[in-house]
Amino acid sequence: MSENMTRRLTAEDTAFVQTDDKIYDQKFEGKPIGFFRDAWMRFKQNKASVVAAIIILFIVLMAIFAPMFAPYGYREQHTSFGILPPRIPELEKLGICDGSKIIEIQASKLGEYEECLMEVLEEYTWVYRNKEIPMLRIKINQYIYKGAGDYYFWFGTDNIGRDLWVRLWRGTRISLLIGFCSVLINCLIGVVYGSISGYYGGRVDMIMQRIIEIIGGVPFLVMSILFVMFMGAGVTSFILVLILTGWIGMSRMIRAQFYRYKDYEYVLASRTMGAKDRTLIFRHILPNAIGPIITQATFAVPSAIFSESFLSYLGLGIQAPEPSIGVLLAEGQGFLTTDPHLTLFPALVISLLMLAFNLFGNGLRDAFDPRMRGQ
Amino acid sequence: MTDERILEVKHLCKFFYAGKHSAPMKAVNDVSFHINRGETLGLVGESGCGKTTTGRTVIRLYQPTSGEVWFNGKRIDGKLNAEEARAVTSKMQMVFQDPVASLNPRMTVEEIICEGVKINNLYPSREERRKQMYRMLDMVGLTREHATRYPHEFSGGQRQRICIARALITQPDMIIADEPISALDVSIQAQILNILSDLRKELGLTILFIAHDLSVVKYFSNRVAVMNAGRIVELSSSREIYDAPMHDYTKSLLSAIPVPDPRVEKKRKRISYDRRQDYGPDDHPQLREVRPEHFVLMSDSEWEAYQKA
Repeated sequence: MSENMTRRLTAEDTAFVQTDDKIYDQKFEGKPIGFFRDAWMRFKQNKASVVAAIIILFIVLMAIFAPMFAPYGYREQHTSFGILPPRIPELEKLGICDGSKIIEIQASKLGEYEECLMEVLEEYTWVYRNKEIPMLRIKINQYIYKGAGDYYFWFGTDNIGRDLWVRLWRGTRISLLIGFCSVLINCLIGVVYGSISGYYGGRVDMIMQRIIEIIGGVPFLVMSILFVMFMGAGVTSFILVLILTGWIGMSRMIRAQFYRYKDYEYVLASRTMGAKDRTLIFRHILPNAIGPIITQATFAVPSAIFSESFLSYLGLGIQAPEPSIGVLLAEGQGFLTTDPHLTLFPALVISLLMLAFNLFGNGLRDAFDPRMRGQ
Repeated sequence: MTDERILEVKHLCKFFYAGKHSAPMKAVNDVSFHINRGETLGLVGESGCGKTTTGRTVIRLYQPTSGEVWFNGKRIDGKLNAEEARAVTSKMQMVFQDPVASLNPRMTVEEIICEGVKINNLYPSREERRKQMYRMLDMVGLTREHATRYPHEFSGGQRQRICIARALITQPDMIIADEPISALDVSIQAQILNILSDLRKELGLTILFIAHDLSVVKYFSNRVAVMNAGRIVELSSSREIYDAPMHDYTKSLLSAIPVPDPRVEKKRKRISYDRRQDYGPDDHPQLREVRPEHFVLMSDSEWEAYQKA
C-alpha cells in the first residue's frame, strides 16, 4: 500500500461485488392490504369511534324508520292533549316516563284530581293574608287528567298535542338530510375548485384564491338571513345557505393536498410516461387525498346540522309544520321551566349526534393518517 | 456501443424565477453534452448544482429556458404533437431517487408497472400486458405474487426494483437514473447497481446516471460529466476524470472521496474549492477540449494561460 498522501482510488481498487448473488425475496404471507382495508384495521382498534359509528347508525336508522312506524303523524294534532309528559308502556311500571306530573294545589281541590292522583308528596300550609291555607304537592297522571288514558306519547306532546317522538325523528331526518346534502355538494364543489386551483397553481391559483377570500369575507349570518328571506324558509334554501360558504374549507384543504402531492415523484414518474392532467389529478393525486376528504366531510356534517339548528333557533327555521331539531328546540324553549321534556329530547339527540360525529371523525382521521400506514 | 448519438443536449438553460424583479436562479446554465447509444454517462456534482434539473428538463418535466434537446435524431424540447410525445414518453424513462415517494401508495405493483404501457397504448390486450409485466418483475428479481401487492409492503430495495421494472416495460432506449441508489441502504445499493449493470449489458440500455457518489459513478459510467453551479465543469471518460482531473472543482470533489484504508485516510488532504473561483459575467467560460474527448470549462484568460503552459 502506498504511503503517498495524495493517493486516490483507481479503477483497479474497485469492482462490482455480489454480482453472482441471486436475489431472493421472501414471499408475502396473507392477503394484500389495500388502503381501505388498512384504514379499517386501524379504525377498529379505536373503540370510542366504533361506538360513535354505531350511535350514528342508530340515529340515522331511527330518523328513517321511526316516523314510518309511529302511530301518529308528525302534523297530527290532538288539541285537547297539549303538553303531555312522556309515557312509555312497560317503562311506566318502573315509575319513569309514566306520564306523571307534579303539581301544587290547595288541599280542598283534591277532589278534582281524585281519578288521576298517583301520590301525595307533601302537605304544607301557605300563609296568605294571615290565613292559613292547607296545600298539597301531588303527583298526578296527566294522561288520565286530560282524558287521554289510552294514549301513549313516548316523548310527550307539544302545546298543540303533536307527538314529540315522531316529530323528533322527523326533525332529525330533515336535519341529517340538510347536513348530508350540503356536505356532499360542498365536497363536490370544493374538490373540483381546490383541484384546479392547486394543480395548476400560479396565476390561476392566485385568481381563484382571491375569489374565495371575497366570498368568505361576507358575514355568514347576514348572508344567510338575506338568503332565507329571499328564498323563503325550506330545506332547499337551507342547503343553499350552507353551500354558499361551506365549500371553502373543503377546497382549501384539497388545494393544500394538491400542492403537497403534485411534485411527488410518483406524479412526476407518471408525467414522464405521458399521463394527461386528468389522469394525474384523478388517478394519482386525488386518491391520496381521500383520507383527509372523508375526515373533513365527517367533521362538516355535525357543523352543518349545528348551523341549521342555530338558524332555526333564531326563527329562520324550516316552515311549519315541518320540524327540524332546531325548530323543536326553539319551540320547546318556551316551556323550558314547566315542561323540560320538550327541550330535553331534541337536545339529547343533537348532542349525541355532535359527539358521535366528532368521535367518529377523530377515529377516521387516525385511521387515514398516512404516517400510521402499515402499522 | 456505437458512435450514434442517442441524446444530444445543446446549450441547455433552465432558470427559475422567484419573483418578477428578482434575479433568476440559474439551475442549469449553458449545458451541452451528448450520449452515445449503449453508453452510460455519469453526471456528478454536489447537492443543488443542477444535476436533477438537467435530468428533468431532458425528460420534459421542465420547460427549458433556452437550448435544444435532441433525442433519437428528433428535437424534443418545446411543444410536440401526440405522436412525437409518445416517442419520448415511451422511449425515455426515469428512475427516481426516493423509492418511497416514487410509487403511488394507492396502486398495486401491477397497476404501477403497467401504467406507462397503458398510457402509451403499447400492448392493447390485457393478457399481453400482464405477460409483459411478469417478465419485467422476473427481470428485476421479483416474483409474480408481488404483482397484487401495494408499495408499502416492500422494502426500499424492492421498491427501487419496481421503479426499474416500471421504467423498462415500455422498452426504452434510454433511462435517466436520478440518484437511484442514494436513498438506499448501503447493502442494497450494490444490488440495484448490479441489476442496472446487468440490464445495461443485456438490453444495450443507454443510461444517464445522475449521482453524487463519485466512487459509484466512476465504475458505472463510461464517461463522466462534473457539474458545479449549473455548469458542466469537466467532461471526459471516467478514467481520465479520476486519473487526471483538470478543473479545480473536480480536484476538490475527488479529494473528498474517503479511502478504505485508515493509514491513507488519516493523511488524506481535502482540496477546498474557493467559491470566488466561480466565473463572472465577463469570463466567457466555455468547455474547451484540452485532450481528445476531455473537455474542461475554462474562461478566456484560463485558456490562454493553459495554452502557454
